[in-house]
Amino acid sequence: MDRVYDHLVTLLSDKFEVDPERITPDTTLDTLELDSLAVVELYVTLQEQWQIPLDDSTASGELTVADVARTVTTLLDAGEPAPGQAVQ
Amino acid sequence: MNDEVAVTGIGLVTPGGIGVKSTWETVCAARPTAHTDPLLSDMPVTMSCRVPALPAGRGRLWRFDRGTRFLLTAAREALDSAGLDPAEWDPARVAVVVGTAAGGIDTLEAQHHKFLTTGPTSLSPLTMPAFLPNMTAGHLALDLGITGPSLQTSTACASGATALITACLLLKAGACDIALAGGTDAMVTPLCSAAFAKMGALSKRSHDASRASRPFDKDRDGFVLGEGAGVLVLERGSHAAARAAHTLARLAGHGTTSDAHHPTAPHPEGAGLRAATRAALAHVGAAPEDVDHINAHGTSTPLNDSVEATVIRGLYPRRPPSVTSAKGALGHTMGAAGAIEAALTVLTIAHATTPPTANFSAPDATTDGIDLITTAARPHPVRLALSHSLGFGGHNTVLAFTAP
Repeated sequence: MDRVYDHLVTLLSDKFEVDPERITPDTTLDTLELDSLAVVELYVTLQEQWQIPLDDSTASGELTVADVARTVTTLLDAGEPAPGQAVQ
Repeated sequence: MNDEVAVTGIGLVTPGGIGVKSTWETVCAARPTAHTDPLLSDMPVTMSCRVPALPAGRGRLWRFDRGTRFLLTAAREALDSAGLDPAEWDPARVAVVVGTAAGGIDTLEAQHHKFLTTGPTSLSPLTMPAFLPNMTAGHLALDLGITGPSLQTSTACASGATALITACLLLKAGACDIALAGGTDAMVTPLCSAAFAKMGALSKRSHDASRASRPFDKDRDGFVLGEGAGVLVLERGSHAAARAAHTLARLAGHGTTSDAHHPTAPHPEGAGLRAATRAALAHVGAAPEDVDHINAHGTSTPLNDSVEATVIRGLYPRRPPSVTSAKGALGHTMGAAGAIEAALTVLTIAHATTPPTANFSAPDATTDGIDLITTAARPHPVRLALSHSLGFGGHNTVLAFTAP
């Protein structure tokens, strides 16, 4: 979970240009000013980076950063990830 | 009343560099920018003219196609050089007109590859807004908060010049007071390169890339695919005068025609280009002998350069203008070329210096007999200069710039 959360913070700041200071586990994606397309792009990026079947139809700006990290973690635990290869 | 359109700012992103200065220096030094391109290593032609490094900058870069990033960077430079601040203008009185041949083809191609290899799940939701060709104009309006007319023009390799003409018409019609007009394209992709190669349009001289683009030369064998953006700030002369803006040159006239001859080949005698030139000169109220300089389309394809030289020889028997092609140095930047070369024509007037044509050694029978600038830049006063742009589809545009 921590590893996923940390990765999410890096992704939000590097790709989506969110100031990392503004990111906490309870911050929603709306609050970080990710619009609907940005939220889907975030999900698609996570799908690719972690090689997980993350369903972007459930993506929503009302989700918190911790919500997203938890969903990713659940999918990683359910599958058999190869983190060394999956995380860029 | 003399209220011709004034050019008060220019911005460039080209294989010669990020910015007007580095591009002008590259062209004046006739320094070729064609290199072997690792992204094209499996293609029939493995070279291109690339913008050296993607412009740095913040703000939603992940949303944009490469071509849009070029455009936004060039537009900022153009505004700075015009002394315009988006916080101070009336945004409803500003227009955006951007020419592009292929829009966000780079994004489309990458996403389509993903679509074919991993299916629809992994498609980016930005595929459409990054690809649709009008989005370059839309993104620029959004970036600068411009709320007047914004649109895209598409006439293949004449797109950037068509954008400038369209902006002139909007200014003359009173639809805006300021127009940001130009072109952008980022078509150096495996698909575009291979498709142009299949037509026989590209130079095959990949083993000797720096000498491949050689406009008007006897050994020319095709163009070198390039990329970039050019933006000009246009205003009616009275508007520029009222805000005491420095006018670099005037876009005093233009001519546009269509060949109606062949989908991709120019008319054999260049009838459309000749007619567009006559229209532009009539618009200015000038005669052929008044033309000091021509920034040619000069692609380095056997056919284009022959036809263009034929037209130039025929139109100016009494006082041949100096001729140059920037494509020897910059390659063919597609829909951006008309705007980049318009900017170079403005600089030619402003600096009273005509850049040379890179890689020219000797003409053939069809390109002989024009006053092509070769080897070194030539200082000479330029009062009236034309910029030619021709595109697949038989589009011919001639822009006429005059000294302020």
